[in-house]
Amino acid sequence: MREFLLAFADDEHLMGQQHTEWIGVAPFLEEDLAFSSIGQDELGHAAMLYELVLELNGLETSDPAISDPAIDKLAFGRSSSDYRSCHLVEYSTRHWSEALVRHWIYDTFEELRWRLLIDSTMTPLASVTSKALREEAFHRRHANALLDKLLEAPEARARIAAALKVIAPMVPGLCEPVAGEAEALAEGVTTGSIADLLEPLTEAANRRFAQLIDCGLVTTGFIGGGIIGGSQTDANSSDTNPQDYSHASSGRTQRSEFFDPLMTRMREVLDYDPTAVW
Amino acid sequence: MNVYEVFLKKDGREEFRHVGAIEAATEDLALVLARESYARRAEGDLLWVVRRNHVISAEEDFVAPNADKPHRHHDGAAVASRRKAARESSSHKVAESADEVTH
Repeated sequence: MREFLLAFADDEHLMGQQHTEWIGVAPFLEEDLAFSSIGQDELGHAAMLYELVLELNGLETSDPAISDPAIDKLAFGRSSSDYRSCHLVEYSTRHWSEALVRHWIYDTFEELRWRLLIDSTMTPLASVTSKALREEAFHRRHANALLDKLLEAPEARARIAAALKVIAPMVPGLCEPVAGEAEALAEGVTTGSIADLLEPLTEAANRRFAQLIDCGLVTTGFIGGGIIGGSQTDANSSDTNPQDYSHASSGRTQRSEFFDPLMTRMREVLDYDPTAVW
Repeated sequence: MNVYEVFLKKDGREEFRHVGAIEAATEDLALVLARESYARRAEGDLLWVVRRNHVISAEEDFVAPNADKPHRHHDGAAVASRRKAARESSSHKVAESADEVTH
């Protein structure tokens, strides 16, 4: 059960961190605010999920003086092999277009993932879920509002198609459950496997990016290895991804090459002064 | 891109108030970005955005003559001071007559 909650918490934690890194450097000021707000929401979800992990361990979480350092220790203090994040959230994007495409995919998936928990037998998890789902509605509206407009413009369309080719191969890994999911299913903590979300996510992506498929910039499908480049070459075709992210099933136990640099950025202040008081 | 004027209202209290403006490519982006730019700390419960070029505005010269009509600026001070003076002089008379009775 611990692993099951950790997988979600770690995804939220790393995704939140990656989104907030756009503060000050997003394409325009209002987007700085909106995108890092969304990142803050994800960090909030992570903190609530880590707290549930601590409660499983019997820690009394009503006193922040005790629970806050324990949450920090879980969030920042584990060895990399103990994390259960997927590669999609570990990946360091190179362009805003990649961050936007990942934002849409991640939040579409995240909403489906929370819906599996709304009737959870773990009552505190069900109440975290209803709070999170209210926030997800905004996250998805934000991503859709941007994509609605950008997909109308040929230059933006080419950039989004190039980004999709980089991000899509990581999507099956996003839908890969941890070993602990079977136990969570058996106890009614969750009502479905995240592996079953790959299909609705793929269908949603095919609708969302239909304009790219129609004009031959990408061909369809996340299932079985991601969206593959269409016949039409685009402006960024030489800008290929340095690593093969094709999905190898590992139950989320393997970290990508991006994890350690990301964790170093996140721990920067903590490593500088481990006794710092916030 | 269009400029949108942003208005917020606290539910059940006060009126919609202008809080600023935002530039956005679509109506939905205007709402999404206005929410994070102006209402991220729950400054309001209700949100309007209005395209700036949909605001019908009057020319300054059309409004200006009304600035030159001091007689419409009655804040009541002159009337209040006259009433106060009248009140004080009449209570003074009452006090005097009370004095006469005791004697």
